Amino acid sequence: MSVTLVWYLIVAAMMFAIGAWGAMIRRNAVVVFMCVELMINAVNLTLVAFSDYLPKAHGAGTGYAVLVIAIAAAEVAVGLAIVLAVFRTRRTVNIDEINSMKG
Amino acid sequence: MIFVFIVLSAITLISSFGVVISRNVVHSALFMSGAFLGVAGFFAMLHSPALAALQVLIYVGAVTVVILFGIMFTQRPQVRRFRTILNRQVGAGFTVALFVGALLIYVFLQQDWGSTSAGHGPRTVASLGRILVGVSSGTDIFALLFEVASILLLVAVVAAIVISRRKTGEGVERRAEE
Repeated sequence: MSVTLVWYLIVAAMMFAIGAWGAMIRRNAVVVFMCVELMINAVNLTLVAFSDYLPKAHGAGTGYAVLVIAIAAAEVAVGLAIVLAVFRTRRTVNIDEINSMKG
Repeated sequence: MIFVFIVLSAITLISSFGVVISRNVVHSALFMSGAFLGVAGFFAMLHSPALAALQVLIYVGAVTVVILFGIMFTQRPQVRRFRTILNRQVGAGFTVALFVGALLIYVFLQQDWGSTSAGHGPRTVASLGRILVGVSSGTDIFALLFEVASILLLVAVVAAIVISRRKTGEGVERRAEE
């Protein structure tokens, strides 16, 4: 019995679900960012698993994983800049109190 | 191999859980780097050592440090109780996340993946580089995606500077108020 594709996919699905749970229930904006990063990493894991296990993929999943890492790094830079700007004007990063755009 | 897989998945899932339920924000960031290290181990298991190295450099190194800087700038010392870190949707959020995870696992198990065998990924750095510049067979689109990603990184860095920059005199005024 060896490690198959489905095992990786199940671990990635569980990681994605944990990240989604955290993004829904935490109040701190920085922790919500961390949970989004967890979800991005779970998707990367599925991409690389497909790239390694599917013969017709030509290894494209690994290339997509590199692009996803680059875009996630850009997202962290812009997201933390927004959190800093919000903290400077509101003196809080609690996302339950940042509701001035609520209709 | 199975033993390594079980250890890595335990590291990844326990660290992910720690990110969500840890009461201290700095502990959350350190748990997050643990989860990233677990994923890097998975990449090494999946015959992508170059991607594992990139994961360690970018996520465990750079992203964790940037997030720790964000924590240093934004967190005030406060009472740490579960009531203060979690909002009122804990139960509902758990139900939704459980449903999402169960649905994903169901789809993954139902789908017929055909003949799968390990070892088709780009093992060497040279083949990964050929995929990224689009000269490998079947990956022509990466020639475009690579350029778009580089422009996106440039725009994102400039945007981060513009958004987080302090306007002239803003910091001085606040210091006078306090």
